[in-house]
Amino acid sequence: MNAPIEKPEAESSEAVERSHHTRARPFASWREHHVWSAVASLRRLGSRPFGTLLTVAVMGLALALPLTFYLLLGNVQHLGDALGRNPAISVFLQPGQPGSVAQLLAKQVGERNDVATVTLKTPQQGMDELAKMQGFSDALHVLDDNPLPYVLQVQPKDGLDAATIDRLATDLRGLHGVDTVQDSGSWRQRLDALLGVGDRIVLLLAGLLALAALLVVGNTVRVDIASRAEEIGVLMLVGASRAFVRRPYLYAGIWYGLFSGVLAVLLALLVEWSLLGPVAQLSQAYAGKLRIGGLPPSLLLAVPLAAAVLGWLGARLVSAWQLRRAA
Amino acid sequence: MRAPVSLAPVWTELRGHAVIRFDQVSKRYENGHEALSQLSFEVKEGEMAFVTGHSGAGKSTLLKLLALIERPSHGHIVLDGQPLAKIHRGGIPKLRRRIGMVFQDHRLLMDRTVFANVELPLVIGGVAPVERRRRVRAALEKVGLLDYERQLPDSLSTGEQQRVGIARAIVGRPTLLIADEPTGNLDPQLAVEIMELFAEFQQVGTTVLVASHDLPLIKRIRKRVVVLDHGRLVADVAAEEVL
Repeated sequence: MNAPIEKPEAESSEAVERSHHTRARPFASWREHHVWSAVASLRRLGSRPFGTLLTVAVMGLALALPLTFYLLLGNVQHLGDALGRNPAISVFLQPGQPGSVAQLLAKQVGERNDVATVTLKTPQQGMDELAKMQGFSDALHVLDDNPLPYVLQVQPKDGLDAATIDRLATDLRGLHGVDTVQDSGSWRQRLDALLGVGDRIVLLLAGLLALAALLVVGNTVRVDIASRAEEIGVLMLVGASRAFVRRPYLYAGIWYGLFSGVLAVLLALLVEWSLLGPVAQLSQAYAGKLRIGGLPPSLLLAVPLAAAVLGWLGARLVSAWQLRRAA
Repeated sequence: MRAPVSLAPVWTELRGHAVIRFDQVSKRYENGHEALSQLSFEVKEGEMAFVTGHSGAGKSTLLKLLALIERPSHGHIVLDGQPLAKIHRGGIPKLRRRIGMVFQDHRLLMDRTVFANVELPLVIGGVAPVERRRRVRAALEKVGLLDYERQLPDSLSTGEQQRVGIARAIVGRPTLLIADEPTGNLDPQLAVEIMELFAEFQQVGTTVLVASHDLPLIKRIRKRVVVLDHGRLVADVAAEEVL
């Protein structure tokens, strides 16, 4: 223990000059500590793989749920679109009604204020459409006569509410020679209303589960800070600021969020992939009109990033509170 | 060539002036216990002083007030010409970087190497890596532990751990070194070595304040002794008067 002792900072002019060069590097040292904190927190997460995996799994599942619902809801919407967004009313005339009656009815209905257009479909046109649909062409060959009636496709004017369209359908049912009226617009409206409810539920669920994810990160960081209370005490005694002490925990929150966001995206993609088979079968039944709507690439990127921000926020809130108590 | 810019604190220009000044300082804890009572004394720049007294005399509280771990209930403390009462929470880390602290229980980070422990104040202070390495090695060489830099503190003896703590305290070249019972867990020979090390730091201008109840050791080192009893200053013995 006989090495020369360096003078205190204020004593030695050489030291003062050197310290001027070595300490006046706030950005470099800030950046250095950020890199160190990011790597150290990642290592710390890796040093307890089971606990990290558990936290990431819980958060990932919580984030995957709204994402999966969003995916399913989007596809129900696609299904609705494939089955017809047009809220047309089909008016089936009684079998045996002649074309002249059908044309008269079409003219009469077309003059109504609440009707935009009326298209008359002859029994032959109906038969041709059926023939195009898979599975029907062979069956049609066994028919002696065309059993199909004349059909009026009534397109209500845009912007009518459900009650007005209901009234129109009721009026059409009361017309002479009409057998049945099929209001395809009403089920579509109900579907749209249900999708609206679903959208709101997904939004609420996303909010609640994001809060849950935030709490999970917060609690994990809280336990981490509590287990390192001694180290934090030492750091503060040797002059570390709260921001310095907090930095590795903030990075831990970011890592937790990022990994769980990636896991959530992978789970949602798994659900999407598992739907491909059944949807392909369904699509065949609708002459290939039905396609599965996947998650948009921007969302796939946004979810991990948003989860990382969520992780940072959870860690930030808890560490600020805990370190204020420790200071 | 431009002349080097002096970054020395104002107090260094007032050489020989008080680095530590306690003025009628009292500290009463929330449970009503009065740890310090109307304590007034000064420690001049480059001076080494012991604070002694029986257990509960207020030695540790005095050091805690200096490091702003506690705040006084009454009175004023001035450090480096700066009234501590004026230092807000955000300024505490800066103040602590100017003080080297040595603890009885070393307070080392057991999952980091000896080098990393000693390096800590320099990392916090934003010193460049090359300069950090140079200073850490110099501090470790001074305490005789250069060969142990890659080891974990767990593998060292208590005395060696204390020397790591001292290296960490001096690596930032503090103007004030405070030590709370630094030889409490050490055998007498090692305790003398540690105290002589503190005396060496004083020789190069560092102000040193050591809280200790080891009277034989204090007598042997022969430095100024401030004696506390139930939080009150009962004696202030100059170095040359220590028997």
